[in-house]
This record gives sequence, C-alpha cells and structure tokens, in this order.
Amino acid sequence: MAAKIFDKETILDLTVNIIPLGIIGFFVVVFAVYDPFGYDPLASAISFGLLLVPLVALAALTYISGKAIAGDEKRSEVFLAGQATVPGSQTLEEYEAQAEPDHEPAELTDDESAEDAETEPTAQNTDD
Amino acid sequence: MEINGQLALTVLMGVFLVAVAAWLTRVENWRSYTPLASGGGAYGQESGHAHEKPGGLIRWFTTVDHKDIGMLYGLYGVIAFLVGGAMVMIMRVELADPGMTLISNTFYNSLLTSHGITMLFLFGTPIIAAFSNYFIPLVIGADDMAFPRINAIAFWLLPPAALLIWAGFLIPTGDIIPAQTAWTMYTPLSAGVGNGNQANAGVDLMLLGLHLSGVSATMGSINFIATIFTERAEEVTWANLDIFSWTILTQSGLILFAFPLLGSAMVMLLADRNFGTVFFAGEGGAILWQHLFWFFGHPEVYILVLPPMGIVSYVLPRFSGRRLFGFKFVVYSTLAIGVLSFGVWAHHMFATGIDPRLRASFMAVSMAIAIPSAVKTFNWITTMWNGRIRLTTPMLFCIGFVSNFIIGGVTGVFLASIPIDLVLHDTYYVVGHFHYIVMGAIAFAGFAGLYYWYPIFTGRMYQRKLGKWHFWLWMVGTNITFFAMILLGYGGMPRRYATYLPQFITLHQIATLGALLLLVGGFIWLYNFIISWLEGPVIESGDPWNLKEDGLYTAEWEWFDRKLQTKITDGGEQQDVATDGGHESDESDS
Ligand code: HEM
Ligand SMILES: [Cu+2]
Repeated sequence: MAAKIFDKETILDLTVNIIPLGIIGFFVVVFAVYDPFGYDPLASAISFGLLLVPLVALAALTYISGKAIAGDEKRSEVFLAGQATVPGSQTLEEYEAQAEPDHEPAELTDDESAEDAETEPTAQNTDD
Repeated sequence: MEINGQLALTVLMGVFLVAVAAWLTRVENWRSYTPLASGGGAYGQESGHAHEKPGGLIRWFTTVDHKDIGMLYGLYGVIAFLVGGAMVMIMRVELADPGMTLISNTFYNSLLTSHGITMLFLFGTPIIAAFSNYFIPLVIGADDMAFPRINAIAFWLLPPAALLIWAGFLIPTGDIIPAQTAWTMYTPLSAGVGNGNQANAGVDLMLLGLHLSGVSATMGSINFIATIFTERAEEVTWANLDIFSWTILTQSGLILFAFPLLGSAMVMLLADRNFGTVFFAGEGGAILWQHLFWFFGHPEVYILVLPPMGIVSYVLPRFSGRRLFGFKFVVYSTLAIGVLSFGVWAHHMFATGIDPRLRASFMAVSMAIAIPSAVKTFNWITTMWNGRIRLTTPMLFCIGFVSNFIIGGVTGVFLASIPIDLVLHDTYYVVGHFHYIVMGAIAFAGFAGLYYWYPIFTGRMYQRKLGKWHFWLWMVGTNITFFAMILLGYGGMPRRYATYLPQFITLHQIATLGALLLLVGGFIWLYNFIISWLEGPVIESGDPWNLKEDGLYTAEWEWFDRKLQTKITDGGEQQDVATDGGHESDESDS
C-alpha cells in the first residue's frame, strides 16, 4: 500500500518538506560534531530536543498528509482546486492534456496582445 | 472617580443585559429551526439594508447561517481596522516631531498597545474568519459549518472582547486607564508591580478581553477542523481540497495549540495581579512570561499569515490565466510551516541572555521555516510567469502581497540570525519587518479577497478606477512608511518611543507621509465600497471575472450563479427552501 502511494511523483511533491528536514538534520550533525558552546547535560539535551522534536513532528505530518493526498489522488478523480463540485468542470488530467501541448506557442503569441487587452475592461465589469 | 467608574461599568452591564434580553425574545424562533437551517428570517445576505425588512436587525443577532456570520465577521474586522488605523494615525502625527507635542508619552503608549492588539486580534483574525465562514462551506460543498450555533457564539464573543480591550479608552476615569504594556505584555510591567500605573483595572479588563477573543478563536478553529474533516462533499477528497481550505485547516490547528496557552498564561498573569500569586515575580519570572507568550506569539504570526497566503494562492492564478503552479508544494509547505512555527519562538528572545545552545537551535529551525515560505513565493511568481495576466484590483493586491512578502520575509531571515538580531533587536527594523508582513501582505491579501468576492457578497461591482487608486496609494504608502522604518532601525532608532533624537527626524517624517497616503487610500476604499454597495452596477452573471474562459471557475461562483438564477425565476423575497446554507437567499434591495 504505502509503497504504491509513495511513488516517484509523490516523493517529488514532498521535497518541499524534505528540504527543511534536511536543514534541521544538518544542524543536528553540526552541533553534535562541532559543539561550539561546550556540553551541559540539561542545555545540550534541550537544544537537541528543540531540533529533534520539530524534525520528527514534521516528518510524521509530511508522511500522513502525503499518504492522505496521494492516496485520494489514486482512489478518485482529481480536479483543479475548488472545482470538484462544479458541474461539468474538467479533471486535472483533461486540463493538463489541453494546456500542455499548445503550451509554448499559444502562450508566446497570446502574450502581448493579452497584456494590453487585459489591463482594460475585459477583466472587471464585463457584464455591467 | 471611584463612583464614576462604577457608574460606567453599571451602564455597560445594562447595555449588555438589554442586548441579551433582545436576543432572548427571539428564543422561540431559534428553537423552531434545526441547526442546519439558515438563520431566522435570513432572506438575502445584504447587510446595511436591514431597515427595509421588519425584524431585519434581529435577524443579524440570531443568525446561524455561515454566510451571515461571515458578513458579521467582515463588518467587525473592518470596524476594528478603522479604529486601529485611527489610533496609529494619531501616533504617526505625533512622531512627525521629535518632542512630545500632540499627545502625552503615556497616551502614546496606550495607543501603541491598543493599535497592536486591535489589529492582530480584532482585525486580523476576524477578517480571515469572514472569508473562511462565508466561503469554505461553499467551496467544499458543505451545507453549513459543522456547528452553526457554536459558530454564532464564537462571533458574539468578539464584541464584548473589543469593549473590554478598549475599556480604558471608553471608561474615562482615573483608575481605569488603557493598558500600556505593548501587545507582548511583558512582565514585570504588565504584572503591575513597581511605581508605574499598570496596576490599574484597565489592564485587567484588557487581559480579560484578550482572553475572550482567544476563546472565540478557539471555538472557531474547532468548528473549521470539524467542518473540513467531516462536511466535505463526496467529490472533495483530500486531493481536491482547495488551497484556502488547507490554510484554514492548518491555521485552525495552530489556534488550537497556541491560544489556550496564551489563555492560561493570561490567567496566571491576572492571578499575579489580583490574587497575590507569584508566577512571574520571582527569579526567572520575566523570562517565563516571554517563553509562554512567544510559544503562542510566533504561531500567532502564522495564524495570521497562512490564510492570506491561501487567499493569494487561490485568487492569483485566476488572473494569470492558469492554475496555481506546484499546487501540492503549496499545500505541503503550508503544513510544514504549521509544524515548524512551534519550534522557533525564542528567536524573539535572542537578546535576553538565554543559553547559547538553545539560541542556536532556535536559529536553525528559524532558518528551516524560511524554506516553505520561499517555496510559496516562487510558486506565485512561476504562476504569473508568462501567464495571461489581468491587472484587476484583486490581482494588483495579490501582486503587492508577493512583493511586500518578499521584503518582509528577507528581513525576517536576517533577524533570525543571532548576531544580526543582537544589533537590530528592539529597533524600528523589527517594526519595519513585521509591518511589511502584517500590513504589506496580510492586509493586502484581505483586501484582495474583499475586492475579488465583492460581487458575491454585495451583488454589485465596485468602481474599478477607485480600486486602482486605492491599490497604488497603499502600495506606495506601505513601502515608503515601512522602508523608512527599516532604515530608522539601521540607524539605531529604538521602537516603542513617543519621542526621539533629532537625527531621526527626516526618516520619521517620511514614514508619517507614507502613513498619510495609506489614510487617503483607506478613505477611497471606504467610499468606493459603500457607494458601490448602494448604487454600483448590479452583477447579472455568475462569472464576473470570466473565469470559465480559462477553465478556472470555482464552486463559490457556481453557487452565486445558481443564486442569481433562482432570483430571476422567482423574483425575490420569498424563499421556502431555506434548508441549507448553500442554496437559498435572494438578492436584497434590488
Ligand atoms: C520568513 C520567516 C520569518 C522569519 C525568519 C522571521 C523572523 C523574525 C525574528 C527573528 C523576529 C524577532 C526580531 C526581534 O525582536 O529582534 C521577528 C519579529 C516579528 N515578526 Fe517575523 N519572521 C518571519 C516571518 C514573519 C511573519 C510571516 C510574520 C507575520 C505574519 C512575522 C511577524 C513578526 C512580528 C509581529 C514580529 C515582532 C514581534 C514583536 O516583538 O512585537 N514574521 N521575526
Ligand atoms: Cu517569530
């Protein structure tokens, strides 16, 4: 189960949280090896606790939320955020299929014309 | 004096009891509908026109409809913003001149304290709750909040909280004067010891009010957690949950762990003040308060910034013509911020002389928490990159958010570095840092939301041109005011003083000038919103922003569209299908 949910795609999504975990891990090692302020049973214990508790908590939450989100992605249809209940909205797959192929060309040509059109009315009171 | 104070308290109590009595007259009414039904007589959702319907005002006191409660939160937040803004304008004018000219130093301290508390607890949290109450049930396809009545109670705790917090100003006697503790309420000053005037009852009332607002926030957060976990429509899986709901969910988790702690600490402080306990009196007492306060205080800043990040992540893609880049990065990094924000509190205490080993750990986690924030920033920028950008007013506020958040965030990372903080702590640099975030980002996102959803909650469109004036005055004003503060901090200007050395005069005057721009922009906004609400062009389609074109049409607009259709078919007032918060209500005053 877990093996299937945490595929390459999901791990990639989770890198955002793996980086802070890495930073905290880095400091754990630095403070253990370099130890600039000397050792004191109480203060050193608290100081490592202050690193390890967030580390463990973040790892746990990342795992749980990754499992929930990636699991639901596999179990059911995915829509763009906020659109799941809108009748007739595209699924994420359809959206991507439509957006990606003509991605580059469409964007480049559309761009400038879009700019000056858009700063103007189209946006706001189109229907007044 | 003594008599006067008691008299004023009696009157206050009387007003409160009358309000309760008025509410109780509706008691039969609230027994007669189920919790899922919308508020008694809640037809339509316009505020401000209550006089057109008999019993209209009572409706607002008794409603349990999430949309009505959202409107109440919004009104409350806006009023608090105007009050807090007026307070700070007096302060900024005083600071145009180095000496004590306009107001006394003690009155300056009172304003400083109330400005901070008002903006954070009475504007920030409520304005976020306005959006979350109104829109989250719509977006996740829930009938209403999980506990509609608790929702109403949570709101109605806030007005008395404001009265208590402002009591020192509202009750003009010698022994109830406004708190001058600053929003951090550091002991021993806030414990009322020594020869100062902070033993007065005004401080106790402020603490009680703050406590009440914390109770309200906690009730609200439990409600949101329950709603998002249990009331989602079937299609709205965790993978389909929108980003705003994710940030509210995370925020609610933070509130749940942070506010009760503040509440306990304040009860201890009240006991120290009134019952002779010595929690914060002995050796280490002052540092104990700081630990307790900041264990709440740092999560609080993320309680305030996460939902605005959610609003920007939600709105900005819709005017970039494409979906949010790296949606899941934004979700996971929101959760990461939620966890890590509990591990950084002592970066506010680097200068207190705590053990250097502990300090170093707090610095490390503070560096780590900057990553998720930076990731979001890159996501917003990438979303806009090469997008089909439409510079509407809400979009401008979103872009302003990103820009200001970058400056606020980068200055924050510098402060998180111990040696730099030791130089800059307690200077205007810190004030500049967090105002780039609270004003430049949080308030900007709030106003982005107000403009973006204006058609939904008023049924009308605001004046575009005034919206742009508002934005540019605020963008320029914010950057003038708070960049001047950053420079003042580099120059060594300490924070929380009504007077200063003549060498700082130019930068202070520049900051005051910027604040005046903010004031003008604020007036324009107020005028625009009121006048457009009364006579702006009526919205006739459920897609005023042309979101369908880009396939970015979302559930709350779809709900709005359905509402407009219903209105056309049955033409108005009478609604009999008022069985949920999602489908009834017509346009009022049309
Ligand atoms: C990028 C992440 C951030 C970092 C690393 C950071 C770091 C810091 C540090 C170290 C201080 C203490 C400065 C001092 O008193 O000497 C501070 C103060 C403050 N920060 Fe931030 N900050 C960050 C983001 C934020 C955000 C998002 C908010 C608001 C939502 C915020 C609001 C505040 C406030 C209100 C204070 C001043 C508290 C006071 O003393 O009254 N910061 N920040
Ligand atoms: Cu902090």
